[in-house]
Amino acid sequence: MSGRKAKKDDDEYVDIDDATDTHENEDAQQGGYSWEEEYKRSWDVLQEDAEGRLSSVVAHLQQQMKRRRLLRDTATVQRGIIRHLFLVIDLSEAMNEKDLRPSRLELTLTYARQFVTEYFDQNPISQLGIIVIRDGVAERLTDLSGNPTDHLRALKNKRNQETSGEPSLQNALDMACASLVNVPSHGSREVLVVYGSLTTCDPGDIYDTIAQLKKEHVRVSFVGLAAEIQVCRTLCKETNGSYGVVLNEAHFKDLLFEAIPPPAVTQTRNTSNLVMMGFPTKSNDLHPSFCVCHSKLTVGGYICPRCSSKICELPTDCDVCGLTLVSSPHLARSYHHLFPVDNFIEVPWSGINSLHCFACQTAFDSSPPPGAGLESNSGRYSCPRCHNQFCVDCDIFVHEVLHNCPGCWAAGSNISTVQIHSKKQPAIQNDVMPMQGVTS
Amino acid sequence: MLDTATSEDDTNLLVTIVDTNPLAWQQSATAKIPLSLDDAIRQILIFFNAHMALKHDNKVAAIASHIGHCKFLYPVTDAETHRRQANQYKISKDANAYPNFKDVNDDIIESLRSLMLDTDTPQKNLNDGTSMISGALSMALCYINRIMNQDDLGRIKPRILVLSVSPDSPYQYISIMNAVFSAQKMSIPIDVCKVYGGEVAFLQQASHITGGVYLDVENPQALLQYLLFSFLPERYARNYLCLPNKEQVDFRAACFCHKRIIDIGYVCSVCLSIFCSWSPVCSTCRTKFAFRALPPLAGKGRPAISRTASPAPSAAASPGSSSPMSTT
Ligand SMILES: [Zn+2]
Ligand SMILES: [Zn+2]
Ligand SMILES: [Zn+2]
Ligand SMILES: [Zn+2]
Ligand SMILES: [Zn+2]
Ligand SMILES: [Zn+2]
Repeated sequence: MSGRKAKKDDDEYVDIDDATDTHENEDAQQGGYSWEEEYKRSWDVLQEDAEGRLSSVVAHLQQQMKRRRLLRDTATVQRGIIRHLFLVIDLSEAMNEKDLRPSRLELTLTYARQFVTEYFDQNPISQLGIIVIRDGVAERLTDLSGNPTDHLRALKNKRNQETSGEPSLQNALDMACASLVNVPSHGSREVLVVYGSLTTCDPGDIYDTIAQLKKEHVRVSFVGLAAEIQVCRTLCKETNGSYGVVLNEAHFKDLLFEAIPPPAVTQTRNTSNLVMMGFPTKSNDLHPSFCVCHSKLTVGGYICPRCSSKICELPTDCDVCGLTLVSSPHLARSYHHLFPVDNFIEVPWSGINSLHCFACQTAFDSSPPPGAGLESNSGRYSCPRCHNQFCVDCDIFVHEVLHNCPGCWAAGSNISTVQIHSKKQPAIQNDVMPMQGVTS
Repeated sequence: MLDTATSEDDTNLLVTIVDTNPLAWQQSATAKIPLSLDDAIRQILIFFNAHMALKHDNKVAAIASHIGHCKFLYPVTDAETHRRQANQYKISKDANAYPNFKDVNDDIIESLRSLMLDTDTPQKNLNDGTSMISGALSMALCYINRIMNQDDLGRIKPRILVLSVSPDSPYQYISIMNAVFSAQKMSIPIDVCKVYGGEVAFLQQASHITGGVYLDVENPQALLQYLLFSFLPERYARNYLCLPNKEQVDFRAACFCHKRIIDIGYVCSVCLSIFCSWSPVCSTCRTKFAFRALPPLAGKGRPAISRTASPAPSAAASPGSSSPMSTT
C-alpha cells in the first residue's frame, strides 16, 4: 500500500515540476536570457488554492501556456501574399555544439523541414529557396521554387547535412540578393538566416552588402543560435527584419515559425500590382504525352492557357512562356490570412451560458469548484461576435487550423452572421462568389 | 494512391452532415422522381446501422445543416439526454431490435423532430435559402479534432459524408474552403452525396481536394443503394476499391468584375481577387497599384485575354495602353 502511495506522490510531483518548468520558459521569454536571471525558486510561482490543493493551479497554468500562442493580432491588414524567401542555414563547425538537444545542427534541420511544409501550407503561391554556408562559401541547395518536395529532398540529402569550416555571411547574402533582385516587385523579398557561429569569414566589407540589400528592399531576418552579434543586429534593423537569439528548443521553433505568416505590407513603398495568372484546365488525355517540366511521358496534367504546353503540377510558372499557373483553390487557401478569426475571450463563472462546448459538444463543469470565485475562469472561451462558448481545445483548433468560428457560421439563433460579415467587408463578401471553380 | 495510414483494425468514425433545408426537401418531394425527407432519413438510418454493424467499435455522428443554423443530431449532450429521459421519450422497447441501433435511431429521430418543430429560431439567413454547410463542416472538424485528441492510440479513422440538397451559397465560399483545407491537413476525406439539386462546385472541390468520393444520385428513390455501395466502404477498404469520382473538376476561375469564366486573368497581389482586365485600383481591397509597364513577356504576342472573354476588355486591359501611363 505504501508503495503505491509513494508512486502516486511521485506522479504528482513530476506533474507539477513540468508545469513550473514550462512556466519558467514563459517568464524567460518575457524577461532576459535564462543565464542572466536571478536564481529563482520554482515553487514560488505556485500558490495553493483555498482547499490547499495544487492541481487546479497547475491545470490553470497549463491552459495559459496553451493559449499563449493564440493571442495574436487579428486586425485585418494587407499582407504580401506572394512571397519569395531564401532560407539560409549555417553549416559551419559551430553547428555541432550540443547546447540545443540533440545538437544545433540536427534540431535546425528538423525545424527546417517543418518550416518548409508549413510555409507552403500557409503561402501556397509563394516561393522558397535554400542556401547553406560552410567552408567560407555559400552553396545553393535549391533555387526559388514553389514545390515543397524539392526542398525537402535537398534537406534530407546526407551530403547536405555535413558541417565544416567557417561560415561566410556576406557570400550567402550576396547569393540570395542576386536571385531576389530578379523577382517581380509585387512579391516580397525575404531572407531568413539561421546562424550558429559567432564569426563570419567574408571576402569584402559586409556593410556594402547591407547597403545593397537595403537598396533592393530585401528584408533580412536572423535567428541566432549562440549570442547576439552586433553586425547582425544592424543588418536586421537596416532591412526591417527581425532579430532573435534562441533561449531553448521551443523558443527556437517560435522564432523560426514567426516567419511563416505573410508579413504585413508596409505602407511606405507601394509594390502591389495586378499579376497576370493562368488558370489551366486539367487534361484527361488517354494517350501519354511529354510534359515540359520533367520531359517525361505522362498521362493527364494541366494545359497552359497561353502556350498550350503540358505541366504536371500546380502551382508553378509555365516553363515555356513564364505565365504563373494556379488553380482557384490555391488562391482561396490564402484568404484566411486576410480575414482572421477574432480572439476568443475567457469567460468567468458569472458569465456562463451553456453546459457544453458549442463546437465539439464536450460537457463543461456546471458549477465552479469549491472555493473558486465567480470571476475566475470557467474553462469556457467565447467568440466576441456570436457569443457562443467553446472549450480550450476548440479555441486552439479554430485559431490555428480551421480559421472559421463554428458559432458564427452555424448559429442563426444569436445573430445573423451574414449581416455582420457583410458589414465589415462588403466588397469581398459580394465579390467572392465567382471564385468557384466551374464544371464543364 | 494507397492510404497507408489505415489498417484493417481501425475504428471508423463516420460524421454525416445531413442537409435538412426544408425548402429543398419540399422541392425534392415533388420532383419527377420524388424523395421526401422522411423517406431519406429512413434510408440514412439503415445506412448508419450498416456502418455500425461492420465493426463492433465503429462510431457515427450526425449534424443537421439547417437553414440559418446547424445542430448536432447525434450524439446528444448529457443535459439533453437527461431531459429526454425525464420526458419518457424512450418508452418503447423493442425486443427484436439491437439496442445500440435503436439508441442511435431514436436519438436522431428525436433530434430531428425538435429541429423541425423549432420555429422560434430567428431565421435571418433565409435570404438565399441555403443551408449552413460551412458551419456544419466546422463543427464536424472540431468534433473530430476532439475525438482524435482523446484517442492516444491513433486508431480512430474519421471521415465526413455530406448529404447535400441545397445549391451552393457563394457567401460561404471562404469558410467552406477554410474547412476543406483543414480537413486536407488532417487527412480526413470529405465524401459528397448529391441527393437532389444541380451541381455544387464548392463540394466538388471539397471532395477532390480531400480525396473523397463525389456522387450525383440519379434515382433518389434508391438512395440507400447508393449509400451502401459507394459510401459504406471504410478508408482501408477504399485502397482496393474503385469508387465513383468526378473525372473533371475544373479549377478555372471567374473574374470578380463580370463573373465571366476566364483562363488568364489578373490577380491582385494583396487580396488575390481576380479581374479580367488591368485596372489602377483593386475594387475589392481598394489597393492602388503602382503604374508600371507589364513585364516584357506579358506584352509580347499575348493572345486575347481569354477564350471566353469576348470582345473588348477595356482599354486598360491591353499592356499597350498601360505602358504610356507609366511614363506619365
Ligand atoms: Zn512534368
Ligand atoms: Zn505557357
Ligand atoms: Zn470544444
Ligand atoms: Zn463566433
Ligand atoms: Zn471581368
Ligand atoms: Zn485587392
